[in-house]
Amino acid sequence: MSNAFSVTQQRKQTPLWLWPLLWGALLLIGVVGIPSADSLFRWIEPDARQVIYDRADFHVLLARHMSVVAIAAIVTVVVGVLAGIAVTRRWGSDFLPLVAQLASLGQTFPPVAVLALAVPVLGFGTVPIIVALMLYGLLPIVRNTLAGLHGVDSDIKMAAHAMGMTPTQILRQVELPLAAPVILAGVRTSVTINIATAALGATVGASNLGDPIIAGIVNGNMAYVVQGALIIALLALTIDSLFELLHHHLRSRFSSSSAS
Amino acid sequence: MPLLDALPTPRLRWEGRHPNVVLISLSLIMLVALWTFDAVSMAPNRIVSGTGYGALEAFGWPGALLATLLLCAIGLFAWEPSRRHYRALLAAIMMLMVLMPFGLLASHHLLLDPELPNARLGIGAAYWVTLFILLLCLVEVRLRLNLTRLWPTLLLSGVALIWWLCAALGLDNLALVQEFRARDRQFLSAVAQHVKLVSITVSVSIVLGLTLAMLMRRYARLQKGAFAVLNFLQTIPSLALFGLLLAPLAWLAANVPVLGQLGVSGIGTTPALIALIAYSLLPIVRNTYTALEQVSPETLEAAKGMGMRAGQRFWQVRLPLALPVLLEGVRITTVQAIGLTAVAALIGAGGLGTFIFQGLGQAAMDMVLLGALPILVLALVVDAGLGALAEALRPGGTQ
Repeated sequence: MSNAFSVTQQRKQTPLWLWPLLWGALLLIGVVGIPSADSLFRWIEPDARQVIYDRADFHVLLARHMSVVAIAAIVTVVVGVLAGIAVTRRWGSDFLPLVAQLASLGQTFPPVAVLALAVPVLGFGTVPIIVALMLYGLLPIVRNTLAGLHGVDSDIKMAAHAMGMTPTQILRQVELPLAAPVILAGVRTSVTINIATAALGATVGASNLGDPIIAGIVNGNMAYVVQGALIIALLALTIDSLFELLHHHLRSRFSSSSAS
Repeated sequence: MPLLDALPTPRLRWEGRHPNVVLISLSLIMLVALWTFDAVSMAPNRIVSGTGYGALEAFGWPGALLATLLLCAIGLFAWEPSRRHYRALLAAIMMLMVLMPFGLLASHHLLLDPELPNARLGIGAAYWVTLFILLLCLVEVRLRLNLTRLWPTLLLSGVALIWWLCAALGLDNLALVQEFRARDRQFLSAVAQHVKLVSITVSVSIVLGLTLAMLMRRYARLQKGAFAVLNFLQTIPSLALFGLLLAPLAWLAANVPVLGQLGVSGIGTTPALIALIAYSLLPIVRNTYTALEQVSPETLEAAKGMGMRAGQRFWQVRLPLALPVLLEGVRITTVQAIGLTAVAALIGAGGLGTFIFQGLGQAAMDMVLLGALPILVLALVVDAGLGALAEALRPGGTQ
């Protein structure tokens, strides 16, 4: 009762769908507006010969950045969730301790080191950064999938079994929906970290939003760094607020269906 | 007899004795890796990329046979697991790890052309894959034998010592050793700088983080704002934050002479430390806050009932109970700082990242390895050490 009340009150204050729209609009303004905001960036770097990064268009860099993160995210979500499901089934339970241990250990590998080790094997370019992002992003997802599936009350599973559901039905209609918010939180962590980490790809020749930052550091031009950082931060905030919306949607749908 | 057949007995027969599928599949992967990937590569000099050699050419048939037999032994022991067999497995894994540098010595002997003194022996994919999977096997055996973290750490340090001796005494032409020899002084100072940056970051952010968490508990309004700011900081890429600090600090150093004399400048250690501390605050504050809040009110009530004063309750009840979670925050922060410090090399803060970025710039992969491997080892060692500490400090855990 009190829960429903607080939700409605929160909706009245700020509708959740407004945030992604707001951040997305700012991102769009940033991408379109930066090339013509010469005077603004001139204020940051009064002495520089050039203050707008122009070796590539910002929308191209943004598209590359997003596609790298998206490819890594799709692969990690599929692999991570499947692995999490596999080791919590009876036939895969032998692997559970090892995978759980790995999921906690994997956070230890610094992304720079993973990236540096991927380059000798895969060469320069976009592939090593995708691999590094996949390795780094996999573990939050596996960890949260395990936590989510473990968090499902065994009484509920027992009840579903007693109702005559097959193990596949229990997984799809009981366990996964109940674990979905936790899994989604893992995906959110993974994607948000990866948006920031993907900028490191610029150091191994993958062209993305890290490019202006690296160029700015190398040439001592703060304006470039600000442009790259601004767009990456706006991208991260847009995606994060989208996840927040999705999370709320999942929550409210679940609670309304249980209430009815 | 028919009645017995109807009973579900097979389950009982396999109880506790069913094969350890994990170790068997890991040993199969290692066998495949050993026989398909290159064990070593050989390049005539630093610039030319090397040619790969398989296990048979690299170790000769006795070495390849020994490795194969040991890997098969892992699979066989895992087929019928018992405590004794797990100990044997541990011995086999350790043996393989100890033998690894001797394999390199063998290929050093077999493949090296005496006419090419500058030839470089590279470590191939088979080596890396086997090493990684052996570590996984070690984790699995540790879990099955219920060992504490201390034992594998001790065993691995022994193995590392043997590797170090082999590299120092016999493996003159190993590419990593050559890279190290070419800049050993630089390497040691880079390690020292890396450790220095990380320890300053962690100690400052522990003090700041604890203070902030305490303040948050006192002033509830601060909590939301502070978490929002810290969360926002994490979304800025580390690369950008390092870059963004260059300009204001350079301006400060130029215009406020006192700061300039103190060593503040746009490039180098100061901006790196500021950015590192900014990133480290979130995990510390979050963990400290939840650790202090999660102490059960009943326990505190009991302490109050025993007549403890507020200060006593905090120092003798709340803090000790919160310590494991708090240490978890320190562990996450330290490991994260070790990785981020590598990025700080881009703004001239030094540390092991210097080798990574120089190596990437020169396309010298062995130099990249020289920077990346110690970072990885450092992160793993710190992780294991602080994890063991948290395990030991858990109230009522080990007494």
